Amino acid sequence: MKKANLVSGFRSGLVFGIVLVFLFLIGFLETGAGLLSKFFGDPVPTNTLPKLGYVILFLALMAIWSGSGSSKKINPDRFSELVLPVLVNGGVLGLMTALMALIFGNYVKAGVDVRNYLVAVSPASIKMLMLNLTEPVQAALALFALMTVATFLGALLHFVWNRHLSEKVKRTVSSKIESVGQSKMMSLTSHPAARYIALAGALALFFFLPRMWGSYWNYVLGTVGIYILLGIGLNLITGWTGQLVIGYVSFFGIGAYTFSLLTAPEPHAIMMNFWLALLIAVAVSALVGFLIGLPILNLRGDYLAIVTLGFAEIVRILLKSDLLTSFTGGPRGIRDIGGPTLFGADFSSDVNFIYLIFVMVILIAFVANRLQRSRTGRAWEAIREDQTVAKATGINTFSSKLLALTLSAAVAGLAGVLFASRNQFTGPEDHILLVSINVICLMIVGGVGNIPGIIIGALALKGLPELLREVSNFRMLTFGALLVMMMLIRPDGFLPARRPRMKRPMVEDPQEKAEEGA
Amino acid sequence: MKKLNKKALRVLLVIGKYARWTVGIALALFLTWRIYQVLFVQQAFTADTWLRFALSGLILGGMYALIAIGYTLVYGIMFMINFAHGEVMMIGAFCCYFVFEALRFIPAPIAGNPDLVFLNAYPILSILIAFLVGMTVSGFSGYFLEKIAYRPLRHAPRLILLITAIGASIFLQNAAMLLFGPQRKNIVNPDILTRTAGWTIQVAGKPVLISYTGAFSLILSALLMIGLYFLVQKTKLGRSMRAVAQDQDSAALMGVDVNKVVSQTFIISGILAGASGVMWGIHMGLVNHITGSLPGIKAFTAAVLGGVGNIPGAMLGGITLGVIESMGPALFGIDFQLKDVIAFLTLIIVLIIRPSGILGEKLTEEKL
Amino acid sequence: MIKKFFVVALVLMMVLSACAAPEAKAEVPEVCGTDSFGCAVFSKEDPIKVGYAGPLAGDYAAYGQDQVNAMLLAIKDAGDILGWTIEMVAEDDGASAEGGAAVANKMVSDPLFVAIAGPAFSGDSAAAIPIFEKAGIPMMSPSATNPELTAKDSKVFNRNAFTDVDQAVAASAYLFDTAGVRKIAVLHDGGDYGQGIANGVSANFTAAGGEVVAFEAITAGEADYSAVLAAVASNSPEAIYYGGYNAEASVLVNQMKQAGLENVIFFAGDGIYGTDFLTKAGENGEGALCTTMVPPASEARIKFDEAFVAAYGVEPGTITAYTWGSYDALAVLLHVIEQVAIVSGDTLYIPRGALVDAVRNVEDFQGVAGTISCQSNGECNASGPIIYNVKDGDWVVVD
Repeated sequence: MKKANLVSGFRSGLVFGIVLVFLFLIGFLETGAGLLSKFFGDPVPTNTLPKLGYVILFLALMAIWSGSGSSKKINPDRFSELVLPVLVNGGVLGLMTALMALIFGNYVKAGVDVRNYLVAVSPASIKMLMLNLTEPVQAALALFALMTVATFLGALLHFVWNRHLSEKVKRTVSSKIESVGQSKMMSLTSHPAARYIALAGALALFFFLPRMWGSYWNYVLGTVGIYILLGIGLNLITGWTGQLVIGYVSFFGIGAYTFSLLTAPEPHAIMMNFWLALLIAVAVSALVGFLIGLPILNLRGDYLAIVTLGFAEIVRILLKSDLLTSFTGGPRGIRDIGGPTLFGADFSSDVNFIYLIFVMVILIAFVANRLQRSRTGRAWEAIREDQTVAKATGINTFSSKLLALTLSAAVAGLAGVLFASRNQFTGPEDHILLVSINVICLMIVGGVGNIPGIIIGALALKGLPELLREVSNFRMLTFGALLVMMMLIRPDGFLPARRPRMKRPMVEDPQEKAEEGA
Repeated sequence: MKKLNKKALRVLLVIGKYARWTVGIALALFLTWRIYQVLFVQQAFTADTWLRFALSGLILGGMYALIAIGYTLVYGIMFMINFAHGEVMMIGAFCCYFVFEALRFIPAPIAGNPDLVFLNAYPILSILIAFLVGMTVSGFSGYFLEKIAYRPLRHAPRLILLITAIGASIFLQNAAMLLFGPQRKNIVNPDILTRTAGWTIQVAGKPVLISYTGAFSLILSALLMIGLYFLVQKTKLGRSMRAVAQDQDSAALMGVDVNKVVSQTFIISGILAGASGVMWGIHMGLVNHITGSLPGIKAFTAAVLGGVGNIPGAMLGGITLGVIESMGPALFGIDFQLKDVIAFLTLIIVLIIRPSGILGEKLTEEKL
Repeated sequence: MIKKFFVVALVLMMVLSACAAPEAKAEVPEVCGTDSFGCAVFSKEDPIKVGYAGPLAGDYAAYGQDQVNAMLLAIKDAGDILGWTIEMVAEDDGASAEGGAAVANKMVSDPLFVAIAGPAFSGDSAAAIPIFEKAGIPMMSPSATNPELTAKDSKVFNRNAFTDVDQAVAASAYLFDTAGVRKIAVLHDGGDYGQGIANGVSANFTAAGGEVVAFEAITAGEADYSAVLAAVASNSPEAIYYGGYNAEASVLVNQMKQAGLENVIFFAGDGIYGTDFLTKAGENGEGALCTTMVPPASEARIKFDEAFVAAYGVEPGTITAYTWGSYDALAVLLHVIEQVAIVSGDTLYIPRGALVDAVRNVEDFQGVAGTISCQSNGECNASGPIIYNVKDGDWVVVD
């Protein structure tokens, strides 16, 4: 038992040590300390390093986290059981940090610049790691002491919290929430009038907010709205019908480009009316989806995924190719794309556009919702669950799938139109594979197969990177890590689809159980 | 209205069924005509140019093949597109870079030459070290990738695994960028493997260079693939891998440790990716954080082209794709910019005409 | 309960934001009343925010990070403006129009934001121009080269980058007249910049009476172009012109010999200038030519180079060819901000409309990469293209 505790302490130290080394090597120590500094109302000016105190605080916080983690894992009755494992934990963490300082400190002392190989490790940041001490040995000892003590502190804090406070706090909070939730909220929401009031409130909010919060939020929300459309569209074929489409961006691009070519002054100067061009663009996207599906959809498995992936690349390359430059504008893209008009008046201000996007989202969500409950929707779901059985019950699986793909391509085309028209610019770089990957991700992060889930997913995935702009360089890194963690913690998404499911099997899966045990 | 709908659908169905053949035959006719035009009527290129195309295609194809095997192994067992596989290859390429850089700093004054460094004094040993390090690190990356990101989701729907893989791929790419910087690094080979050196042969009166690095990577990838084929077909590990690929539950009942086999599959696929990464480094000479992403997509395409889950299929698919990429534009007389268009079109057409890939796939229906 | 709270809080916030009238400040400069965009107001604590938008992650990350590095030095050199500190706001726009517009919208929503040295590419610039136009924020892009950008009567958009046209004229004139070449092959990387400059060279060279025997695009980001080079070689050109950046150019140069293009001149645009091409191409790069605006060894440039090495451990031009231009873009903006800014009591006022006009009227600003004088359309690069070639492993001006 004791040995297991030591091992888990060691492991916690090792993991956090690796993370800390990694964070230092990518230059996050500076950014992290800078964020802390900003948090305490002391923003760091450009070109300067955060103050020593915040660096220490950042390191200490890591160690405290590590210590509390191993305390949580071991969960002892008495603190004395915890002392040794935590010392091991802190020791390992401290040793790794100290070693890093020692190595890089000596490099600096010898005048070697390691930035040729590790770009973020500048002499200034090494000095920061060494807590502004000049001798590497001193710095190593100081870091070792700091990390060990902080780890110990973390474990102590967690132990005290866990033993003496958490129960009390949890109990009071949960009892309060329960009483409030059950008595008032339930009666409120169940009343029909309340629902209409809520609806009216939401509509009013949608109407007034875009006028108040400025163009940046309109822009971000507009992007979110366009991605909601994409998510709903992809959900038709992937979420409900169960056919994976990786190259969904191709339909998006075709919609955007058809619309742009019809409404922009260059390269063709057709300058068509917004609504007519919108209809044509949606129809073209749908047609392309139909034509792609025709030969592929009666094949099985992931082939649709791969074919659409290839198709998306083909579309992107063709759009920017020399061959079609005179037709599509080539890599320069298309500028001055037409905006919407309403009864002859210009309707393209950012506030009006966000209304347009809202309306489209509500419209498409409504249609999709009706479709799901219709015969077609049930046929799709049957195909997703089991194609053979679906076929046996008389569903024409091929034409159902074809319909789903066509509709889904049409929705993507609509999203493309809105996207191009709002930005007044579109180019090949707007239609890279990353867009479709983002759409797949938002669909799954929110919860496959339901529309509120998609909305949440779009908010999280297109809104989050906007929030993460604070940490600009580390934005995509954080995004990737969050994606993995999200899938590990909540694989069904934020809002899992609620659909009638078969009852759980009477006997539990032995393998699953065994894994849980291990 | 309803009846009309049904009728229309039926017509569509018929079109869909015959579309395959119509598309196939029309394309075959067009291609034959086009190739005849280019080869015999226009005669745009002489024999030496064709040989150059073929050589560069073969070398590229060999590397695609090696990466494609990694995809196919994992896809065969977990039915999952391991999007992070290209990034594992990138890790291998970085290993090659760092090993060569390190060895360039170790002096080895032998035979009275004081300026000689380890890399040039013991070139074969250096390359061996690079491969050893690259394959080990990539193997470990594959192992940890599976253990941390995929294993907890073994029984989750495939889409979820796909997202996890995408997340891991984004993470690894950006981690490499933040660690080593965004610009491409130059890999300096040992002197005997300088990229411009090679055998020169005379074709149609012009010299054609077969570079040592190209020949080296082609031979090596062939050897690795043969080795892997035997591993999968002849050893106990290979047998349990095939068993798990066919049916996880039955394999478990027969006493196969599924977790272990999946782990080992990821290690093997990582090792192969590492080897191809080191080869990529030695032949192409450049590495940065996006080195793995494009070859990754291509290799996956190659795996599907040859037949998913089928190791000889992955080899054939890789070579085919490489050759199509380098010869296709010349053969069809179009811009070289469109080589990927040709590659992906080939994939689509092959899938339409022969849905299970060139050599057929080795999967069971149950996987669906 | 929680919902209610939320609604109440929201309403309160709205009311507060509507009621919070600006405090009456003593001695507001007269300009602020008349200026078309009003003034940006900085109290003693506020930093003056200037920005950059470009790719900081993804395939083109090298460009963004290099440009930001150079710009940080410009801020360091400027120190402060009349006692106010300068803050750099570098945002990742992923080199796409979508990102360009998002970043622009974010920047204009910050009342302390006054000027942007970017965006980096033409696509994101095109999407960002209308947004900055509305807010009265002057732009100075060091690397957006699309000629159309300045042809749209934008008040705020300026650039100290070359347009593709200038370089194309210089390059084709050199190839035809000086080098006496009659048959060239033109390659580009399929991007906005590369295609534009390649088209220009091709048109000019044909107009001069030469022949373009091959015009091909390569796929950027690859490491093997032997197939396309073999195809080009079969047309036996005397020179190759390449429109694109150093990463692909060095690969091309390295593989030309194997493809049977031994004694062919290699000429490219300013995208390949810098140490990166030299280290990656090595001996194969000897004799390669390029056009650039960077002066050979002005005092300012030597000083900048030293500062850059000290700060980042690599020579400028190692990562991209736009290091010097990026420094200048921000330096000139800071210079102009200092000119128009007005201190009144404890407050600094920057009249936005005046700033926009002042940037457009810059004359003879001496940067590290040449002279900056803005024309009425926003083209600010006053130093003509200089032709360099690689001699003994270094870029040397061709005489």
